[in-house]
Amino acid sequence: MFHIEDKVRHIVCPYCGCLCDDILVELTDGRISGVENACTLGAHKFLDDADNRLKGPIMRKGDQWVDISYEEAIAYAVQTLSEADRPLLYGWSGCVTETQAIGAHLAELIGGVVDSTTSVCHGPSILAIQEVGHPGCTLGQVKNRADTIIYWGSNPIEAHPRHLSRYTNYADAYFLHNAFRERKVIVFDVRKTATSEIASEFVQLEQGGDYHVLSALRAIVRGREDVVPDMVAGVPKSQLIRVAEMCKKAKFGALFFGVGVTMTGGKYKNIRNAIEFVDELNRHTKWTISPMRGHSNVYGSNEVFTWITGYPYAVDYARGIAFYNPGETTAVDILARKEADAALIMASDPGAHFPRTCCEHLAKIPTILFDPYPSATTHLCTVQIPCAVNGIDAAGTAYRMDGIPIRTRKFLETGYPTDTSLMHEIYEQIRERKEHV
Amino acid sequence: MSELLIKNAYVIDPLQGIHGDIMDISIRDGRIVDKVSGSCEVIDAAGNLTLPGGIDSHTHVCGTKVNFGRYMSPEDMRAGRTPRRGAMYPTSGYTVPTTYGNSYRYSKMGYTTLLEGAMAPMEARHTHEEFAATPMQDMLANTLFDGNWSLFEAVGDKDIRQAAAVIGWTLAAVKGFGIKLTNPGGTEAWGFGEDLASIDEEVPNWDITPREIIDTTIRACELLHLPHSVHLHCNNLGMPGNYRTTLETLDIPGDMNPDRQTLYLTHVQFHSYGGNTWGDIKSEAEKISDSINNKPQVVIDMGQVMFGRTMTMTADGPMEFRLYTLHHNKWSNHDVELETGSGIIPVYYSRKSSVNSIMWAIGLELALLVKNPWQCMLTTDNPNGAPFVKYPEIIGLLMSNKYRSKELSQVHKLTTDRTSLGSIDRELSFEEIAVMTRAGQAKALGIINQGKGHFREDALADIAIYPVKPDQTDPSLQYEEVIGAFQQTLYTLKDGVVVSRDGEVITGVANRTFWSKANLPEDMDVLKSPRFVEKFSRFYSVDLENYLVQDEYVQRGVAMNTGVNS
Amino acid sequence: MQVTLTMKPRAKPFLPIEAEMINPMNFIGSQNLFVWEGNKKRRLEDIFTVRKEGNVNSPENIVVVLRGDTSRVKRVGEYMSSGTIIVEGDIGMHCGNFMRGGFIEIQGNADGWLGREMRGGSILCHGNAGDYCGSGYRGEKRGMRGGKIEVAGNAGDYLGEYLTGGEIHVHGNAGMFAGAEMRGGCLIIDGDARIPAANMAKGTCIIHGEIHEMLPTFEKIGEKDGMLVYHGDVANKGKGELIVKSKIT
Repeated sequence: MFHIEDKVRHIVCPYCGCLCDDILVELTDGRISGVENACTLGAHKFLDDADNRLKGPIMRKGDQWVDISYEEAIAYAVQTLSEADRPLLYGWSGCVTETQAIGAHLAELIGGVVDSTTSVCHGPSILAIQEVGHPGCTLGQVKNRADTIIYWGSNPIEAHPRHLSRYTNYADAYFLHNAFRERKVIVFDVRKTATSEIASEFVQLEQGGDYHVLSALRAIVRGREDVVPDMVAGVPKSQLIRVAEMCKKAKFGALFFGVGVTMTGGKYKNIRNAIEFVDELNRHTKWTISPMRGHSNVYGSNEVFTWITGYPYAVDYARGIAFYNPGETTAVDILARKEADAALIMASDPGAHFPRTCCEHLAKIPTILFDPYPSATTHLCTVQIPCAVNGIDAAGTAYRMDGIPIRTRKFLETGYPTDTSLMHEIYEQIRERKEHV
Repeated sequence: MSELLIKNAYVIDPLQGIHGDIMDISIRDGRIVDKVSGSCEVIDAAGNLTLPGGIDSHTHVCGTKVNFGRYMSPEDMRAGRTPRRGAMYPTSGYTVPTTYGNSYRYSKMGYTTLLEGAMAPMEARHTHEEFAATPMQDMLANTLFDGNWSLFEAVGDKDIRQAAAVIGWTLAAVKGFGIKLTNPGGTEAWGFGEDLASIDEEVPNWDITPREIIDTTIRACELLHLPHSVHLHCNNLGMPGNYRTTLETLDIPGDMNPDRQTLYLTHVQFHSYGGNTWGDIKSEAEKISDSINNKPQVVIDMGQVMFGRTMTMTADGPMEFRLYTLHHNKWSNHDVELETGSGIIPVYYSRKSSVNSIMWAIGLELALLVKNPWQCMLTTDNPNGAPFVKYPEIIGLLMSNKYRSKELSQVHKLTTDRTSLGSIDRELSFEEIAVMTRAGQAKALGIINQGKGHFREDALADIAIYPVKPDQTDPSLQYEEVIGAFQQTLYTLKDGVVVSRDGEVITGVANRTFWSKANLPEDMDVLKSPRFVEKFSRFYSVDLENYLVQDEYVQRGVAMNTGVNS
Repeated sequence: MQVTLTMKPRAKPFLPIEAEMINPMNFIGSQNLFVWEGNKKRRLEDIFTVRKEGNVNSPENIVVVLRGDTSRVKRVGEYMSSGTIIVEGDIGMHCGNFMRGGFIEIQGNADGWLGREMRGGSILCHGNAGDYCGSGYRGEKRGMRGGKIEVAGNAGDYLGEYLTGGEIHVHGNAGMFAGAEMRGGCLIIDGDARIPAANMAKGTCIIHGEIHEMLPTFEKIGEKDGMLVYHGDVANKGKGELIVKSKIT
């Protein structure tokens, strides 16, 4: 048999917020047969793709799943969403910005709430930024300049495997002769991790002690170490003083933080404190701080929602103008209070990540899931609609965790419709319906 | 074929030398024509002021840092919220409104063309995505080169041709319009937390000075024949005593290209400070305007400050950090690898503050002391000096000495001693305002031939009809009516379509993006330079192939062809 | 005059209701009042049985009584400047936002953001208050600026965040981060608190119960009336006062 083999380069990996754009994909007979440059997580996204996809839309009828057409699925979505009193449009982080934009407009059209997975990962980081701002930079700036790197509550070796090789510890640097030797990595975590193993300084703190340690560091950098007690959240004062000195001596420092800080204890107050620590260090030398964003285009959802609605996530259009108040307008809160009477879930898996009460409510209301693959949320939804996968058989804009917009590449033709086209269709049908009412 | 006739318009069209004649304007298929058929739709302008659509030659409305200003400011978003009206989306925000908020509000004020003042090449897609969501205006993006390493190498090599090659390639690669230098060299120094205090200080780690960057870039721009000159945000923005830097910078171009504008200095108000500290800061607008009055090849914009709250945002990262240490409000910074920086902080300009009051006066002094209105554009460096919705008040201040005196009496008392504003009695005419808000911009940006800023035959039918009859109005006394008139048009037309009427945006349109396409000979192809390509692959964090902005982002792009002969 | 608003049964009882027009001054005259249930605009009478007793004169003599399950009714008493609102049960979020005067009494519990950005008047909550009692809005630099909030039960997290003026008195316990970013005013907690006064800049925070996870960045100044006095937060240039009674854990 004759095999058609092909290699496509400069592919953008749609797995995590690193959006590595140097992936090489090998195709054999129109199927992905090999992946180079990607980490294991990313490689699996490509290699496991074909076998896992749902063939077409399905609808729950009693205890059974029934195959339905795309037209029927869209008609169901149109009717459900346009009749709802408090529809929730959640997910979006795996979609391209072109789809996210339609989502924001759709929420306004139907008086719904639009929220992204941000609210269960880096929502607290945004709340902190809204209080004190964000001294950040692009990842290449860190790569070329940073001699001191902090990972706080973040284990990139396991969660963002190429972060160290592309942007930090193992990356080539313009301003360092021997980057790997000259760079210092400081890890703050509650437990030993693969990343703490390679650190030049590991600060092990007590669970929930991030805020206290950050406050102590700020006081020390401000010259008020006299106030700080001998032990702070399990960390000896002497180590804090040593770390503060390392930070002040850096020529360029970069602090990265993960969900280990955003989702524990004081949540956004932790991040705020970390940002103010970095602000303080900037009075001595150059420091930046950056969140380790998870989903490939979660940052894109924040950007798009912001320029359209004014707010990065959790936007409530019930009254036709945008209202924002995480804790009130966030998906988890709306579901926990049983407010939503219909839900559209875009390429995300609340069934696996939301509290049980939220999942139970999703299972009670009409829930439409857009996802190429079956997931835990499949068990909760009424209708599931598979669509092309961004970065494989669909292209569009995605924002890297540092805000760099990149266009993902389409390299396979599968015949699946894109979520952009499906959302566009839903939006247009609802708009026409509203005009006729 | 669609036709429209505007009758009884009081037309001021400075580029055609029309100084206020009552006349008709004929439009066919979005363009100005000589005449239309008798049966077409008619708008009766009834003797009201009719101008070419407004052009803002320096504003921040789209892109990474503008959006970050929104992102970090939910408290600003709750001001200025409007619901959906007809085809118009809801809007939010006052100092940094949503894209539709910007677009609709500019449209109500008669603006049809905006130049985004600062686009980092690496983040260009973001700017273009927001351009598509700013539908009521044609858009242009000034592209940041102040910390561009490839340009620095060319400057170090004193290789103007190579500098032109880098600039030409970059503009085409990212669909940018013109060259923006923001605190040249300073944004690179800020990469390690430093700044430059003079244009002759060496950029750390690079064997070059801001003076050399500016000089080489101007020469490269002239070699490329780009439509617009170098667009420069001088070093030392906002520092007491910085007028010396500004004067030195103004002397750089000399008569490099006596035939055309070689330098555009932006938000010059922020660069005209005397004194040595915030305590003894004073205006040096007279010295700055004297210099400009002797340099016909230089154009500036005001960067007027108006009282109230706003958001400052600039690629000038070190300046924003200094501002943060003064204001202690939230501070954002975003350095872009190999290219530039940026910073954002919210501020409140207070009449009670001597510094803020002096700043307010300096902007007005500049506009009144620069003799030729074609050399001074009306801006606030939106939103840095104030949100653009304050433009009508600035027009009122420039047209009425009475209004100015009244305002001057209500600001900090040091303003009278530290500025010359109280002694200036010049009052600008409607024609001068028309120059400073559209005709001058079209000329300064080099987009006259794209049909912008005038009503010549075949020009784009971008038209603003304001509810004021100049022949029956004395702006010196009736400044309130004038301000009201410029706040909302009777009609705003974009491409011959009425898009806004009596302050209500009534229909959406599709906008254009103008970008510069430099056609370069083979020896100027940077992709054939191993140094360029290697630097890209080793030090940028994206692949070259993924850096180029695809055509999808400029679906209604207008390539302005330019180039260098081989 | 007394206006009694009794909740009617609803098809979807969990839908939030936004009712900022429930403000004594709006019951002078007989204009139609509207509230929002989810994304639908409803007449006040669609949601509540409205009963008016007595004569109308000025808003300060109007008492509005809310009866039934009002736990989903938000923004009651927003921008209120005079008069009285009595909630017989629980009240939803944002009760007394931007309140300038008058009195709100809640006999049950209050949900989040009670008295957010309040300027004057007083609120008495007999039950518990949710998170962000007396706080500000996202991104804003000022929380409650004046008036008084008294909570007989416990308060949730972020009590008095960005408190800038006025007084909050909680008789029970507070959650975590009470008085975070305080810039003025007085916060009194009779019970316990976790990580109080974080990053405070000014104002006074008094805690009579136990403090859990006290921050390491407060400087002990001395004792006053049997209480320990700390200044801070020195992580910042804070000049606030944290006064605590018992041992710190």
